Amino acid sequence: MTPNQRKWLPTLIVLAIFLSPLSLISPKTYITLTISGLAMGMLLFLVASGFSLIFGFLSVLNLAHGALFTWGAYIGFTSFTLINQWTGWGGSDSIFLNIGIFLLALILAGLLVGLLGIITERLVIRPVYGSHLFQIFITVGAMIVLEELVRIVWGPNDEVMPVPISFMGSWDIFDVVVSKYPLIAIVMGLILYVVILMILRKTRLGTIVRAGVENPEMVQVMGHNIYRYFTGVFAVGSALAAIGGGMWATFVKSIHPAMGGEVIIFALIVAIIGGLGSITGSVVGALLVGLSYNYVAYLVPKAALGITMLLLVIILSFRPTGLFHEGT
Amino acid sequence: MKEPDLKKNDFNPVQQFRLEEREARFRSPSFFLRILLLAFFVFTPFMFHSFEVLDVVLKIIIFSALVASYDVILGYTGIVSLGHVLYFGIGCYSVGIFMGNLGWVSYGHLALAFLIAIVVSGILSVLIGLFSLRIRAIFFAMVTLAFMEFAFILSSQLRSITGGDDGISFKLPGILAVDYSFGHFLGIELTGRIVSYFLILLICVILFLLMLRFVHSPVGRVLQSIRDNEPRSIALGYRTYLFQVIASSFASCVAAVAGGCFAIWVRYVSPDSSLSVPIMLDVLLMVIVGGMGTLYGGIFGAAFLMITRAFLPKLQVLMASILPGVPMASRLSERWLFYFGLLFIIIVYFFPKGIVGTVQEFFSRRRNN
Repeated sequence: MTPNQRKWLPTLIVLAIFLSPLSLISPKTYITLTISGLAMGMLLFLVASGFSLIFGFLSVLNLAHGALFTWGAYIGFTSFTLINQWTGWGGSDSIFLNIGIFLLALILAGLLVGLLGIITERLVIRPVYGSHLFQIFITVGAMIVLEELVRIVWGPNDEVMPVPISFMGSWDIFDVVVSKYPLIAIVMGLILYVVILMILRKTRLGTIVRAGVENPEMVQVMGHNIYRYFTGVFAVGSALAAIGGGMWATFVKSIHPAMGGEVIIFALIVAIIGGLGSITGSVVGALLVGLSYNYVAYLVPKAALGITMLLLVIILSFRPTGLFHEGT
Repeated sequence: MKEPDLKKNDFNPVQQFRLEEREARFRSPSFFLRILLLAFFVFTPFMFHSFEVLDVVLKIIIFSALVASYDVILGYTGIVSLGHVLYFGIGCYSVGIFMGNLGWVSYGHLALAFLIAIVVSGILSVLIGLFSLRIRAIFFAMVTLAFMEFAFILSSQLRSITGGDDGISFKLPGILAVDYSFGHFLGIELTGRIVSYFLILLICVILFLLMLRFVHSPVGRVLQSIRDNEPRSIALGYRTYLFQVIASSFASCVAAVAGGCFAIWVRYVSPDSSLSVPIMLDVLLMVIVGGMGTLYGGIFGAAFLMITRAFLPKLQVLMASILPGVPMASRLSERWLFYFGLLFIIIVYFFPKGIVGTVQEFFSRRRNN
C-alpha cells in the first residue's frame, strides 16, 4: 500500500462497518438505527474530544472528566428549568424559542463547567504535572469529590430532564421514522467538530496547541507561557464535556449522579481507538462505537458493550496508537 | 546461605546487604510488631464476642491481602491498573457459581472453584497485559478500567449464570456451614463462622508470605528497578514489558484467591459487592492511606477505611441531632465518600508515602542522625 492509500484505510473500515449490518436488518430499521447511532457517536465525540485533547496536550489522564460531564448535565438541567420558569420558552410552540432556551442552557453549562475546570486544573492538577502516577490518583480524587458534590447539591436520586416541545416526536420521511432530537444532536456535533477543527487548523492559538501536543518544552522555549495554555485547554475540554453532558441528558431524558462514570468508559474507548490527542480520531472512533453499539444492541442486546470492547482489542492489536496520529 | 570460610568482603554488595538484613531479622522491632499483629488477628474471636467486630476484622484481613496484591502492581512495579477488582470479582463469582448456581457443595468443588478462579484470572491478566502494556503503561490504566466495567455489566446481565443484580447466595460444605458447631473452646462456641474465620486468616497469611517472597525475589528486584528507572532496566537487558506482565498476572491470581475468601465469608456474591468501581476506589484509597510499595501498608489502609466506615452511621446520627431538618446537612453527613475523596487528594499531596512509608522514613532518618 502506498501512503496515500494507507491514509484512506480508516475511512474504508468505517464504511465497511457502516454498511455490513444491512444484510441482517431491513433498510428502514437500518436507517433509524443509523441515525440514533450517529447521534450517540456525536455525543460521545463531545466527551471524548475534550478527554483526548487534554491527554494529548497536558498528558494528563483526566479521570475526573466523567464528573465534569455529570456537572454539565445537572447545570444544563437546572438552568433549563429556571429559564423555563421565567420565560416559558421550553413549552412554547415557536421552534426558535425552543432552540434558544436549549442553546442558552448548554452555553451556561459550558461556561460554568469551564470555570469549574479552571478551578480543578489550578487547584488539583497543576501541582502534580509530570508524574503520571500521582496525576491518576489526583484525578480519581477529584472525580470522587465532584461526583459527591453533585449528590450533595442536587440529591442522590434520578431527575427527569425537561425537553423542549419541538424536539420531541419524529418526522415521517418516506415511511421511515426519524426522531427529531438525534438529528439535532448530529448537526450540533458536526458544527462543534468543524469549529474545533478550524480553531486548531487556522488560528494562531490552534497552532500553538498543536505544537504543544508535539512538544511542550519547545513551545515554552519559543516564549509562550505553556501553563496558561494548559489551563485554557483544560477549560475547553471541560466545557465540551459539559455540553456533551447536557445534550446526552436531553437524549436519554434523565439524569443521575453516576451517569458520568458510565459514559467515561465509552469516552476512554473512543479516545484510545481514535488516537489520543486527535480530534478527527475522536470523531471516527465515536462514530464507530456509536454505530456498532446501536446495530449490535438491536441484533443481540446483551452483546452491545462486548462489541465495543472487541473493537478496542482489534484496533489496538493492529494500530497500537489508535487510528489517527496526535495533533490532527 | 552463609559459608563459614568466606569473609564479608567476598560478597557482592547485594549479597552483603541481604546478609545483614537476614542477620538483623529477629532483632528488629518490626519483626515483633508483625508477630503481635498476627497474634491479634488470631485471638480476635476469643476477645470480642460480637459478630460486628469479627466481621470488620475479617474484612480488614481480606482487604489487606487484596490491597497488598494491588501494591505489587502499583508500588513495586509502578504501573497503574484501575481494574484490579475484576480479579477479586472472578474469585467471588467462581466460588458463588460453584456453590450456589451449580449447587456442588463439597470441599473438592470449593478447591476446584479456587483453582479455576486462579487459572481464569491468570490467563485474562496475561492477555490484557500483553496487548495493553505493549504500547504505553498509561494505556494499561484505561484498558483495565474498561474491562472491569465490561465485567460488571456482564455480571449484571447474564442472569442465568450470575443471578443478575440480585446475585447468588449459597451454602458452604461441612465445617464451614453456618449451622455447624465444634463445641466450646475458651468461652466461645466454635461455629462454622469461626472455622471459616481461621481458614481465611490462614489463606491470607499464606498469600501475604507469598507476596513478600515474590517482591524480595530476584524478579521482584527487577520490578523495583523498572519502577525506579525503566530506560536503565531496558539498557541492562531486561525485557521490562514481560516482567510487568508477570507482576500483573501474579497479583491477579492473589486477588482472585482473596475474592474467593470474601465469598466464603459473606456467602453471597453480587456485582455491587464484588466487582464495582466503588470497591476499586476503596482499594486505591487503602493503598494511598497505607503507603505504596510497602505491602504492610495494606493492613493499615484497610483497617483505617473499614473502621471509619463502621463508625460512620453513628456520626450521621450525631449530625442529624445537631442540625435537624436541613436536607443539605444530612446529605453532607451521608456522603462520606466525599470526605474520603478530599482525604485522598490531601494524602497524595502531603503524605505521598502513606502511613507506613512516612513512619519508615521517620525512623530511618532518626537512625541516620
